[in-house]
Amino acid sequence: MASDVTSGSPSYDEEAESTVQIPNITVNTNSIDHSLDAIENQLHSISLNTSIDERTSPSADYHLESASEINNGSLKENVIETRRNLIGESSSSRRSGLWATNLEAEVEVELEAEGDGALSSPSSSGYAGERGSSGSVSSASGTDGIRELRDNGSSMGDDGVLSLDSSEAQWIRGKRHADEDDASISWRKRKKHYIILSHSGKPIYSRYGDEHKLAGFSATLQAIISFVENGGDRVKLVRAGKHQVVFLVKGPIYLVCISCTEEPYESLRGQLEFLYGQMILILTRSVDRCFEKNPKFDMTPLLGGTDAVFSSLIHSFSRNPATFLHAYTCLPLAYATRQAAGAILQDVADSGVVFAILMCKDKVVSLVGLQKASLHPDDMLLLANFVMSSESFRTSESFSPICLPRYNPMAFLYAYVHYLDVDTYLILLTAGSQAFFHLKECRHVIRVETVLSKSNVLNEVQRSMSEGGLRIDQLPVDPSARSGSLFPLNQRRPAPETVVGIGGPAGLLHFIYRSIYLDQYVSSEFASPISAPAQQKRLYRAYQRLYASMHDKGVGPHKTQFRRDESYVLLCWVTQDFELYAAFDPLADKAVAIRICNRVCQWVKDVENEIFLLGASPFSW
Amino acid sequence: MPSRRRTLLKVIILGDSGVGKTSLMNQYVNKKFSNQYKATIGADFLTKEVEFEDRLFTLQIWDTAGQERFQSLGVAFYRGADCCVLVYDVNVQKSFDNLNNWREEFLIQASPSDPENFPFIVLGNKVDVDGGNSRVVSEKKARAWCASKGNIPYFETSAKEGINVEEAFQVIAKNALNSGEEEEIYLPDTIDVGSTSQQRASGCDC
Repeated sequence: MASDVTSGSPSYDEEAESTVQIPNITVNTNSIDHSLDAIENQLHSISLNTSIDERTSPSADYHLESASEINNGSLKENVIETRRNLIGESSSSRRSGLWATNLEAEVEVELEAEGDGALSSPSSSGYAGERGSSGSVSSASGTDGIRELRDNGSSMGDDGVLSLDSSEAQWIRGKRHADEDDASISWRKRKKHYIILSHSGKPIYSRYGDEHKLAGFSATLQAIISFVENGGDRVKLVRAGKHQVVFLVKGPIYLVCISCTEEPYESLRGQLEFLYGQMILILTRSVDRCFEKNPKFDMTPLLGGTDAVFSSLIHSFSRNPATFLHAYTCLPLAYATRQAAGAILQDVADSGVVFAILMCKDKVVSLVGLQKASLHPDDMLLLANFVMSSESFRTSESFSPICLPRYNPMAFLYAYVHYLDVDTYLILLTAGSQAFFHLKECRHVIRVETVLSKSNVLNEVQRSMSEGGLRIDQLPVDPSARSGSLFPLNQRRPAPETVVGIGGPAGLLHFIYRSIYLDQYVSSEFASPISAPAQQKRLYRAYQRLYASMHDKGVGPHKTQFRRDESYVLLCWVTQDFELYAAFDPLADKAVAIRICNRVCQWVKDVENEIFLLGASPFSW
Repeated sequence: MPSRRRTLLKVIILGDSGVGKTSLMNQYVNKKFSNQYKATIGADFLTKEVEFEDRLFTLQIWDTAGQERFQSLGVAFYRGADCCVLVYDVNVQKSFDNLNNWREEFLIQASPSDPENFPFIVLGNKVDVDGGNSRVVSEKKARAWCASKGNIPYFETSAKEGINVEEAFQVIAKNALNSGEEEEIYLPDTIDVGSTSQQRASGCDC
């Protein structure tokens, strides 16, 4: 937390640092590449088993970009000069000129570096020592590499998908870099901005920076959107160099994403939809009426204290495949255990609860719903994010109005939330605001708790959480030797900490299997060489691109895709029943990879009782 | 976070081209003035934080282009404005005559809920020019017009000398604030599971 406060300028310093280390920057780009490689290699030697070539990674680009900008004095000056013309004259006056130039140049905001370190703020003091010794380690991946080393003991075994280990969770809670505005160099360098504003141009939310200081910027955005609307058209996407500006208009609410992450338009747009959904979850679409009556309406006070909800959602965009698969995932459990949990929930559901959900982090243990009521996976994601990112739910039983945008965006349900242990929580959704005391007092809830613990469900949940789910190195080699269960009787699986990942057969690195009927997916645990958060993020981005290309309405739907680049072989296979996304070593043989995919599918089918919630699917009522 | 609640006010500046809208804004926000005329294209946005009666405000100032070719931007620009500043040049009769058009245009486009009481403010700019000798619109005439339009506050300003600029914007903030007092009541519904929710639920795309 403390490190975030000072991050604005340090990220700049860091670039300066990197230029010192890299000679001949303006002369020969190849040499940069090589020196980058050298750095990466150095990093790899620090970070255990990292072997993936990172030359093409965004972080490497960032290296290059920033280095040349700083090194070449005149270039830098030009850039800044242009910025002044376009956007501001001095830091005290945040001015945004519109149509001073053409649209494209106007949005050419400079945002190369993310400082993302979504994980590692560039100024994180803890890494200073290591950085010093390894030379110019300033890329995000660099610090992540080191981070991996540091966290080795504590979080390596984690699923890494939405795992909020303590250091990650820390920054999620508050808004980051609240002191920035569009005149700050650090703000312009952020890789991905999300901004919400009203149709009168008043800022509602910004991922980075102070909303009020960004008033001029959001006015510019509104002017762009409205200008196009005036012409009877709609602006969806503006490309400006390597930046994409994606717009989403939801009645009186405008959402904008400015990104240089090279994610597909569809993905970014989907993320804006989630952001809007999260807002609806907190407020319902009743806010539309407020804007209808009074366009001046300022809704920021209504969203007070929800910064953490939005930042954690944004964080999950590159770490939780549910955000692009539109499916949910279950905690692996023995069939009988999940059945027991379901039966207990069913009991409560019979007493007037619309939905009863038992979750462990972002994974579903079990869920039941009122007849005919259906719960959309996207709603589940937003609900889980809301609960997990709101600190107050952890401390006591709570009752909060929430709206499920896919269920009914206009009205509130009421959520009774109770944490049973540090990761496991029960959500009961009711229709009445008076239900809290009923639920609290009534024996049902008390019974849920006692029964869950007596029936050992909670223990099993904790055990599964620590043991993890499907591991590629356990992919059955010989079909006849299949056990058909992840939970062989009386046999604890070795804890992941004790296993040094060697990757799966035939270079299989990771896979995601999405069942279309169940609206659920299962993803293998990450193992080396994809163990650092930055690598996982990159793989998710690759999956996301794959997903977008497979679902491209223009040319699709496709059945299979085989793609090889420097980092992976990616294989996607879509049938009526499932979608399989698999990543292999870049040298993997195509025929072998296909055979392995078949085996993965067989494996998933063999253990589907344990990795999916069957029969009780929210859609099967 | 115990920070005070801040209010954002959208302020639109309107008036013929060349009357000094941008200069007024620059003087107010940056305390700077340039003699060079640079036409605003489309619109320009500035923000300034002010403290007023122990409350914190951010003025989001929309400096629009005076040229007629930009008037098509209309609705989008004016929507949700908290205050509208009408500017004319005391040395140019036409710019004063046009105030009426600007005001009407604004009320049509922005269609505020209570047009009679929408907070306008009128600024007669460039009072410094030629020591006031080239002046063609008298203060009396201007005040009379303001009075006839529902007592619009009036200021004689000089963006160049910084005369009355601060004072004018103080009033702008104050008036915008007063008109913004009537807060919208946000009253969401609760789902009625018994009767309608089933249709509603099936209405979602699942």
